[in-house]
Amino acid sequence: MPRPAVLRLFLGALLLSGAVGCSRPEPAPRGVLRISQRNEPADLDPARATLPDEFFILRALGEGLVAPSPDGGTPQPAAASGWSVSTDGLTYTFHLRPDARWSNSSPVTADDFVASYERLLSPATAAPKAGLFFMVRGARDYATGRLQDFSAVGFQAPDPRTLVVTLERPMPRFLDYAASGPWIPVNPRVVARHGRLWTRPGHFVGNGPFTLVEWRPHQRIVVQRNPAYHDAARFHLAAIHFVAFDNGEVEERAFRAGQLDVTMAIPFSKVEAYRQERSAEAHRAPLAETRYLSFNTTRAPLSDVRVRRALSLALDRAKLVDKVLRGGQEPAGRLVPPALRDSADKEPVLGGASADDPAAARALLAAAGFPDGRGFPRLELSSWVGSAVCEAVQAMWKKELGIDVVLVNREAKDHLASLAAGRYDIAFMTAIPDVADAANLLGDFASGSPGNYPQWSDARYDALLAAAAAAPAGEQAARLLAAEARLLDQVPLAPLYFNSVNWLMRPGVRGWHQDPLWTRFYQDLSVDEPE
Amino acid sequence: MLRFIARRLLETIPVLLIVVTATFFMIRFVPGGPFTAEKAVSPEILRNLEAHYGLNQPLHRQYLSYLGSLLRGDLGPSFKYPNRTVNEIIADKLPVSLELGSLSLAVALLAGLPLGLLAALRRNTWLDYVCSSVSMIGLCVPTFVLGPLLVLACAIHFGWVNASGWYYPSDRILPCLTLGCVYAAYIARLTRGGMLEVLGQDYIRTARAKGASEARVVFHHALRGGLLPVVSFLGPAIAGILTGSFVIETIFQIPGLGREFVNSAFSRDYTLILGTVLLYAVFLVVLNLAVDIAQVWLNPRLKFE
Repeated sequence: MPRPAVLRLFLGALLLSGAVGCSRPEPAPRGVLRISQRNEPADLDPARATLPDEFFILRALGEGLVAPSPDGGTPQPAAASGWSVSTDGLTYTFHLRPDARWSNSSPVTADDFVASYERLLSPATAAPKAGLFFMVRGARDYATGRLQDFSAVGFQAPDPRTLVVTLERPMPRFLDYAASGPWIPVNPRVVARHGRLWTRPGHFVGNGPFTLVEWRPHQRIVVQRNPAYHDAARFHLAAIHFVAFDNGEVEERAFRAGQLDVTMAIPFSKVEAYRQERSAEAHRAPLAETRYLSFNTTRAPLSDVRVRRALSLALDRAKLVDKVLRGGQEPAGRLVPPALRDSADKEPVLGGASADDPAAARALLAAAGFPDGRGFPRLELSSWVGSAVCEAVQAMWKKELGIDVVLVNREAKDHLASLAAGRYDIAFMTAIPDVADAANLLGDFASGSPGNYPQWSDARYDALLAAAAAAPAGEQAARLLAAEARLLDQVPLAPLYFNSVNWLMRPGVRGWHQDPLWTRFYQDLSVDEPE
Repeated sequence: MLRFIARRLLETIPVLLIVVTATFFMIRFVPGGPFTAEKAVSPEILRNLEAHYGLNQPLHRQYLSYLGSLLRGDLGPSFKYPNRTVNEIIADKLPVSLELGSLSLAVALLAGLPLGLLAALRRNTWLDYVCSSVSMIGLCVPTFVLGPLLVLACAIHFGWVNASGWYYPSDRILPCLTLGCVYAAYIARLTRGGMLEVLGQDYIRTARAKGASEARVVFHHALRGGLLPVVSFLGPAIAGILTGSFVIETIFQIPGLGREFVNSAFSRDYTLILGTVLLYAVFLVVLNLAVDIAQVWLNPRLKFE
């Protein structure tokens, strides 16, 4: 009879799998922090990287002239120990640290920086974030091929310790751009030797507090403390494991199984439970990310500013945040998130169209020819995430204005492509600045800008932005505020909320800090051994 | 037989050409491109990027140059991962998918065949009902339910294995069980059905009448015919295990090719889409051929022609 034999085989297999499994395979190694990595880096090359996820790792492996400040203030010295600015604000002279070393122990020189930036700006490199250099004299022309000679671009190295950067025109926030990820240098000799393979472990050479020791795509990237780094005393972690997780639920299960110290997010359905039951592990922080509704201003009736204003006024943003999102987001009364505002700027709402005022909304809609929503066409409200937000917006407009919109869900790139081409009515969208500069965000809505998804063109707004760019340091914030007020008055978009991030972190992680622009600070960070 | 194989292989060339051509042009008509991003890039940078990847060439020229490099065995650079070629990505990820697939298939056969055999031999007894119910449940519970349940029990509650990852031998247990169970259920049902049909045939009665032992009747006479439906199923199933393990690879964070296959479409990584589609087309063609050969071998009534 086969029965007992089969049974024995089955039990044997079960025991065997138990025996293999019982030797718990992943003990947390000493001094190692295991962080979830949500997007597999396209590359670990500052000239190629575009996502915050890539710069999480790049900032461990390298540092630019200056680095973002943990408190959100003026950028701090990094590879440059100091700098001076000419009185006309056009020339920045950076003094490099004498003790700055590449991880192969050769010195970091000003020529390395010049060569890095020449490589990044070269049209052949096709760096997606080259725009973060365009304030430097001649950089845009060089990147577009109009200028062939890089020595005419505003990067000069008079000696190995001095880098002089000349700008097209004064730019008070220039250091914020210089602190952005693409300004991290590469070692030109290593790049020349290994070509596209230079970012592989074994080839990679950086000037940061950690060095690359392992990169298994879609598994993990391991960086190890670099004892030769000039500020090594402040970096206590022996290594960081960036563990790949494509899916939030999978990530959360790995955290519960003890395979992770820090996650990227908390699955939406579990945020409340974690905050109530395991509050020591649930963390939350604001982001410099504005989620908004983009109105296609080239399509009737959205070409009528009264209609756009009515749609914006009919939204109860506080309710959206408190009842629908419930993840610590902030209602947005304007486009520029708090982290990008000037310290003197205390305006929570700008332009008058972002308040919750259904009565005014109804009056405006009636004035535009749609009393009680009668005769209003069925517009599409498109999104790239199956979003409860859009359903709530749909319900609010139905209730307050009596109009119907159709919800359309598109695949992410399809959504972005239709926004760029103006093939939509109303779209849910996100605005994330590259650097801590309101002008970077507001510039997206200038006439003809590729990020101007509302297809909006307003001469006064363009003039206000230009005036802000040309204004002296002290006046710039006020000018930008005026431009933002104009934008919000004309309502090419309706800001909804400032996003936040919720994540899980083991209580043993000490000194964790990340800013609203997704910059992580690895100094003074340590991890207790699990008991 | 060699002529048969040679002819079939020759027939695959136009099939693959159609697959490549259709895929090449279809993905270009999908809205959005590899450089479409939330933060829109300026037109001058976009021009540089397109020139870098040759996307500024006329489409027919891109197509011809792709075919040219294909003939040299070069699947091109990845658009999403600039420091990797499609060949490198496939060489990196395919072995993982093959390991996952073959272990799961082993689970499926080791569990499915005995279950189906038992059910057929003990037809309409409690054993049959148990085996059939188990395979019915296996069919009904999707992998994205079974996988997380196994993780909750084995990884989070008991702490026997990791919840996800592909680092240690023990990391193979849960994904292979999850993926294997679904196929085991299919195989059990097909084995049962095939065996029941064969066991009712005249030649089985003849074998019994001649005094052959039950074991000889089952394993020598019946099994070959009874497995025919399983074999026809296995060809596409193996290709399916290799292509369709996207869900398993996601649930267990396995760095396999199934996920690249799906995600390359989302990131509009044109060359990677083409490379993976082509690879899977080759798999399907080859496995179907293998099935045809196996069927001739198992069924004396069929001939190569």
